[in-house]
Amino acid sequence: MTTGNANRTPARTFPDVCVRCATCMAVCPVSRVTPRFPGPKQAGPGAQRFRSASEASVDDWIELCTSCHLCDTVCPAGVPISELNLMAKAKFLDERGRTFRDWLLVRSDLFGELAARFSGIVNPLMKNGAIRWLLDRLLGIDRRRDLPGYEYPTFRQWFRTRPAPEDRKPEVAYFYGCFTNTNETDVGKAAVALLEAHGFKVTVPPQRCCGIPRLGIGDLRGAKEMGERNLDLLLPTVRRGIDIVFSSTSCGLMLRHEYGRLLELPGAGELAMRLFDLCEFLARVRGEGESVVRFRPLPMKAAYFAPCHLRSLNIGLPALELLRFVPELDIRVIEAECCGLGGLYGFKKEKYEIAEEIGKDLAEEVARMQPEILLTDCEGCRMQLRQLTGIRTLHPAQLLRDVLQG
Amino acid sequence: MKRWDLIVIGMGLAGLTAARTAMEMGAKVLVVGRGIGSLSLFGNTIDVLGELNPETEMESGIRGWIAAHPDHPYARTGAEGIVEALNAFRTLFPPPYAFAAIDGRNSLVPTGAGTLRPTYLLPVTMAAGASMRREETLIVGLRGFKDFQGDTVSLHLRCRGVTVSLPRYGLEGATALALARLMDEAPFREGLGEMIRQQMAGEKFIGIPAVLGLKDPAGVLKTLEAITGARVFEIPMLPPSIPGTRIFHRFREALIAGGAAFHMGHPATGAAVENGRCTEIYAENPPLTSTYRADRFILANGRFLGGGLWAEMNRIREPLFNLPVFQPGSRGEWFREKFFQPESHPIHRSGILTDADLRPVDEEGRVILRNVWAAGSILAHHQAIEEHSREGIDIATGFLAARRALSA
Repeated sequence: MTTGNANRTPARTFPDVCVRCATCMAVCPVSRVTPRFPGPKQAGPGAQRFRSASEASVDDWIELCTSCHLCDTVCPAGVPISELNLMAKAKFLDERGRTFRDWLLVRSDLFGELAARFSGIVNPLMKNGAIRWLLDRLLGIDRRRDLPGYEYPTFRQWFRTRPAPEDRKPEVAYFYGCFTNTNETDVGKAAVALLEAHGFKVTVPPQRCCGIPRLGIGDLRGAKEMGERNLDLLLPTVRRGIDIVFSSTSCGLMLRHEYGRLLELPGAGELAMRLFDLCEFLARVRGEGESVVRFRPLPMKAAYFAPCHLRSLNIGLPALELLRFVPELDIRVIEAECCGLGGLYGFKKEKYEIAEEIGKDLAEEVARMQPEILLTDCEGCRMQLRQLTGIRTLHPAQLLRDVLQG
Repeated sequence: MKRWDLIVIGMGLAGLTAARTAMEMGAKVLVVGRGIGSLSLFGNTIDVLGELNPETEMESGIRGWIAAHPDHPYARTGAEGIVEALNAFRTLFPPPYAFAAIDGRNSLVPTGAGTLRPTYLLPVTMAAGASMRREETLIVGLRGFKDFQGDTVSLHLRCRGVTVSLPRYGLEGATALALARLMDEAPFREGLGEMIRQQMAGEKFIGIPAVLGLKDPAGVLKTLEAITGARVFEIPMLPPSIPGTRIFHRFREALIAGGAAFHMGHPATGAAVENGRCTEIYAENPPLTSTYRADRFILANGRFLGGGLWAEMNRIREPLFNLPVFQPGSRGEWFREKFFQPESHPIHRSGILTDADLRPVDEEGRVILRNVWAAGSILAHHQAIEEHSREGIDIATGFLAARRALSA
């Protein structure tokens, strides 16, 4: 017998579900550091009551929301606050227009492969002071922000050219995401190595950018297009009964939840059912007792940071569960909310200082803990942690791969 | 699929206490909650039974009070159970940021409405409020901070009040969280201390909104007291509550370090029941429904705000397990005539009836689900608002529910 009533989810854009309790005001990283953003209560359901489709948007602060989703996770009334913000942001930017920079940044998937091919030239250029000055002045990409380097060959090329492993093992597909493909290929290699060590044959289905950068600039139509393309590319895999794992928690949140909940794309539910975070997947495999893979002892002091979008996936901290299997690893959780980078947010000149100020809390906590290594599942958090602390920062899968036994 | 020893539904003080108690008994615990729980709203001090006269010693007073209230959740835990649970709570907060009762009795502390309210355990940052003398107290408001109206507070408390500018420009409209974060920075709190010192006229006590930092509130207190030469106390105010957030953070830190898991943001919306036992619960995270399995479940998701109880047009329901809810006979009897009056509204007595072990029972007293326990404000027959007993009920019943669940 099943009890309960699952269908009491309120209409999504109905602001009166908010009881004005201000719980969200205790977690919003942006209003924590600047009074320029009124906070989720005001910006979301508060302002929503005054918004009208027929009137021009006046929410000139709405762009300051980083879409971290922390407000959604703490709300006792189930108000989709960040979604209200996103809709308002989309309307505001549809009316005001987007900058060339925003147009460019959300298409990094298109020029990423090319930049990777010429990384020998591109990477030094992006460190060049004059170029950074120009990017800062002409485009508004803050020159204080470290730009990630490109890597060649890309993950996809590496995967395609590696010798095919033996065929009889159960198959699992991998969604690597743009950043792994062109900027942090080792994360992908580590994911493949870990999955293979746990007895799987890894395949890499054709895939595109998940589209989450476009949500960041309120481009719902663009995000939908990316979603539709990915569904076309990924659904054949799940229809064969194959699970897909992702190593980027932001790509994962987009694929697993935003395609369905926000963008209402047909087939999104079908994909979501077979989509797993890499560490969630591995923790589950280990929990079921199949092929217990052992890790070598690693006497090291490590600190783990839980990305906002991981929290929003609502799967707990599976990476931490796995890291606790490494003997002698002193692994602690960093008590801080949000790194502040917010994906492309922290690269933008007008938002750089907000991102840096949010990250300061995290950096202080790290300084207090004095770890030898930092671990986090999100590429944005890793970039921010590297820049703020200078400490070696990896995806948990990379560390786990390094201590695989045998 | 993973199977937990215990799943706690709800992240308020009752759920967190249950989770910690069970974790310390060696259980694998999952805490699921629709949101962060009520600590970040009201959590400030620990009320146990504020209606007891401050002259009365709590431990002996509560014993007699329980005898006169045999249906109350405290009758399940007993006075010893309350004391044991409160002691366990206090071990989570070692000095300097410790909780203590003054003299083992209730104390009256100032509120953000300018009233005095009785409470039991005080964090170190509020202790001085209990011994303030009106004529020697300065109430400090912060310019541009809307959640604390220093003028109103000082007027009602009949103290002198001032509003000081913050030691940094551009902070008008800053939130409680933003201010608490700034207080964690030494130059900011030193600057504020100096601003306050300049406004003083020989006062020996200073009341300030409860924003004295999240990381090291005792350190902030020490700085302000050193600069002003007075005893400083925080005054609880409108939500969000910074002191409550500190409590939540401390629990979360301890629970995660001890191996418990948190799944926050999606309510438990359904449960599977077989042969009088709950086997799994479901949480909606569209487009997915997550399934969580455990041997035991503790229902600690509060009342109407937390989602533990639903008020429909004509009756009150428990939406997860469809448990019977003790409630007034009809909607017409839910409320008294006036909103503010000394007696409780009858709707506030509604809730889940349980056996001595806190397992939900039907009207005849029969256990409904053998592996489900209830804790916190969802329980029937308390009037937490009028009794000033909210946190005490949460801590004592959360503690007992976990003990009983794990020994079952």
